[in-house]
Amino acid sequence: MAKRSSHAATALLLAIVGVLMLGANFMVFVYAPDEKVMGAVQRIFYFHVPAAIVAFTSTFVMLGASIGYLWTRSRIWDCLARAATELALLFCLLVLITGPIWAKPAWGVWWTWEARLTTTLLLGLLLAACVMVRSYADSAEQGARLASVLGIVAALDVPIIYKAVDWWRGQHPVVFGPGKKDPLAPEMRATFLFCLLVFLLLYTLLLVLRTRIACHEERARDAAETVAARGEAG
Amino acid sequence: MKSYAFLFWGYNVVWIGIAVYVAILVWRVRRLDGRLDRLEQRLSREPEPR
Repeated sequence: MAKRSSHAATALLLAIVGVLMLGANFMVFVYAPDEKVMGAVQRIFYFHVPAAIVAFTSTFVMLGASIGYLWTRSRIWDCLARAATELALLFCLLVLITGPIWAKPAWGVWWTWEARLTTTLLLGLLLAACVMVRSYADSAEQGARLASVLGIVAALDVPIIYKAVDWWRGQHPVVFGPGKKDPLAPEMRATFLFCLLVFLLLYTLLLVLRTRIACHEERARDAAETVAARGEAG
Repeated sequence: MKSYAFLFWGYNVVWIGIAVYVAILVWRVRRLDGRLDRLEQRLSREPEPR
């Protein structure tokens, strides 16, 4: 009964996020005005920046959970770290897909080895390594330990991505930052904040779902080991 | 208008990707629930070894 109501709550939340997604598409394509210099292509900003913010948030969740796991060796931290790593990778991939969609009309090329782009690609590769190391480790404990250490290294890349444009004078546009005047029109700001809210809600839902899966996998592994041990003892 | 269509489909590819990921997660939760139920039933049926 509790399981059924939990599934119903998940389905309800998924439906709400789905409706909000449609609302975000409406605001991006109908409500927000065209940007004067770049025109329609600027609208990629409304998904690209929230996806980046969520990717960085998830990387910091992964950092906290990895430290928690290495400190306590508690499996719940590992479940959270596993979920946050996979989601950070998902949203980092979205950033790496939507970026070139904007770059092609704006810069004339899909990709350039600019500092912020390169460090973001590096983050994606480090997160992919975190996911892969769990699969290839000899034991679950060893995989969790290695992924936690690698996760901490990956999180160190986030401040570098943020400061890359300043440190290496990159060409990636900087819309928000300390000492910068807000350049967005009120409709643009409202659209951006709504998209950010939808992405954060989506992320929270996915994080809960993925953590639950990781915990169930742990329980299933324990139960299977107990069944096998009893079989051997019997 | 051409760039609007380009952006629109670019956006929807992203949403479809996320929807597929959510669907895979839901399927995995249900499959694991079933597996856990079977294992726990088996554990409760079999007596603990002395």
